[in-house]
Amino acid sequence: MRVLVCVKRVPAPGARIALTPDRQEIDTKNLGFATSPHEECAVEEAVQLVSDHGGSSTVLTMGARESEEQLRYAVSVGIDAAVLIPTDGSDLDPQATARGLVAGITVLEERDGRFDVILFGNESADSGGYQVGVRVARSLGRPIVSGIKDIELADDELIAKREIPSGFEVYRLELPAVLAVREGLNLPRYPTLPGRLKSRKAEVASVDVVPEVGGQHKVSFESPPEQESQTVKLGEGVDAVPAIVEVLETLGIK
Amino acid sequence: MTTTIYETEDLAAIRSQTRRFVEEKVVGRGDAWEQAGEVPQHLIEEMGKIGFFGLRAPEEFGGIGMGALASVVFAEELGRGTYGGFTATAIVHTDLAMPYLLNYGSHEQKRRWLPDMLTGEIFTAIGVTEPDHGSDVAGIRTTATRDGDGYRLNGSKLYITNGGIANLLFIAAKTNTDVKPSRGITIFAVPSDTEGFSASRKLDKMGWRSSNTAELSFDDAWIPAENVIGELDKGFYSIMNNFQNERLVLGAAALGEAQKAIELTVDFVRNRKAFGTTLWDKQAVRQRLAMRSGEVDAARHLVYHSGWLMEQGQDAVKEVSMVKAVVGELVNRVMYDCVQFHGGMGYLTESAIERMYRDARIHSIGGGATEVMLEEIAKRM
Repeated sequence: MRVLVCVKRVPAPGARIALTPDRQEIDTKNLGFATSPHEECAVEEAVQLVSDHGGSSTVLTMGARESEEQLRYAVSVGIDAAVLIPTDGSDLDPQATARGLVAGITVLEERDGRFDVILFGNESADSGGYQVGVRVARSLGRPIVSGIKDIELADDELIAKREIPSGFEVYRLELPAVLAVREGLNLPRYPTLPGRLKSRKAEVASVDVVPEVGGQHKVSFESPPEQESQTVKLGEGVDAVPAIVEVLETLGIK
Repeated sequence: MTTTIYETEDLAAIRSQTRRFVEEKVVGRGDAWEQAGEVPQHLIEEMGKIGFFGLRAPEEFGGIGMGALASVVFAEELGRGTYGGFTATAIVHTDLAMPYLLNYGSHEQKRRWLPDMLTGEIFTAIGVTEPDHGSDVAGIRTTATRDGDGYRLNGSKLYITNGGIANLLFIAAKTNTDVKPSRGITIFAVPSDTEGFSASRKLDKMGWRSSNTAELSFDDAWIPAENVIGELDKGFYSIMNNFQNERLVLGAAALGEAQKAIELTVDFVRNRKAFGTTLWDKQAVRQRLAMRSGEVDAARHLVYHSGWLMEQGQDAVKEVSMVKAVVGELVNRVMYDCVQFHGGMGYLTESAIERMYRDARIHSIGGGATEVMLEEIAKRM
């Protein structure tokens, strides 16, 4: 079985995001980068699928050379091969990203055979467009289900579960299929030291594709207003008790 | 913290991996281990899974086959965990005990024990020190006398880190009492379930409280000859040789502790207000911390240079003795000042610095006392 995972290099979740003065780009000077958390789970799932059912796993990303760091991280936890579609690093809209990935996937499939399963994160941790997986699946003519939190492989079909408030929706998909997965699907492993060192020497293949620009144009970035927090002194000593009780009641703590 | 010219990308990867583990699993989490007097088994297993125990082991047994500097980086980063007892537990396994098998064990012995030592399933200790003999190795009194296809061990060992939790112990015993003491010592691999062996007493200590320290006793304990590590009667030389790695790595751990203590203290004094300013605004405080910081950085270069010399296969006894003497003393000066600048808080057992102060005290004693190290240096001057 051949499994592909598509990942994106994003600012480390929780980081304070600064913008360039023209508000056209994110100021990356002091920023740490990571793989989107949903995609870390996709990587882990790919490693588990291959270890349970045999075959090989590949990780693919589109981005600047620095994105190799995320590819190597995936290799360090057990992905077999890494492929980069190099770009100049500027922001691509979801249409262009999807076109680029489809072109890259086509090259890889023509060379080494079809991917039975392609995994995406449900949405990226930075732009959160929820589109790339769906667009890629549609272009390839393959079924996709998003929001997946459980995957099983039975014979020639995938059984994928999506969590809803009252339980799970269960989908059966014929292979080849595409899934967009959510954090909580599994617990991504720590890289091992041997894995980490091996990944530094791993070859990162390059597929050169220049995608057509999509229909979405960025006007500018806006920083959301900072959330203000306030400290209120409720009183001192025993006198503060009624006020504390009131706050606890407002919060619904009994 | 400055890095040295010896920091390769592989070493940097080991550093970041260890630091992440220490920050996520150790810092602020060890109070229960201090109470229990040992590190929980699951943590040892987690470390094994990540591969921390295989830094020095050959790839064919599941390790990554790196040199002394890998151990230095590992120990320095563990030292930043603020629980000296945790650090001791790990490095006794990886760098004080395991080298006996790595450097002197036969291929068959490595095949038998090493893979499980790397996962932590087999956890090790090294037993050289006795009630009356520490740095004076030649004077040990535990004996091993030939009996059939093996040896009978009799005697006792004291201050043995991991002694009560290890399931395989490397024990030094006299196999020949008719020759010069240094020519009649042999190392034995002793499984903890050997009849006649017991880890009899858990020792209560000033610091390193989350490490298990035991007294071992051997009462006609029979060990098969296939468990002899290295050449018969040549154990003294392997002990002397392994001391170099041990002292280097203990120095690296002390270095990490000193660095972390300074960082904790700088954070503390920047926030602590007194007489209308922060303590950091007082020159007496910040200049002392600046000086200690300079000394720690200077020591780091000595530690890494000594590790590099060892990796090059050069004689580094003088340098490693300097590491042990210099860092073992320095870490105590650093802790003294850091407690001082924490004020009353530094005297409370709830502060990390109070524990680090107690943990540091062993560094000028264990693994070669400062005075013994200074003699090693003086002999080579």
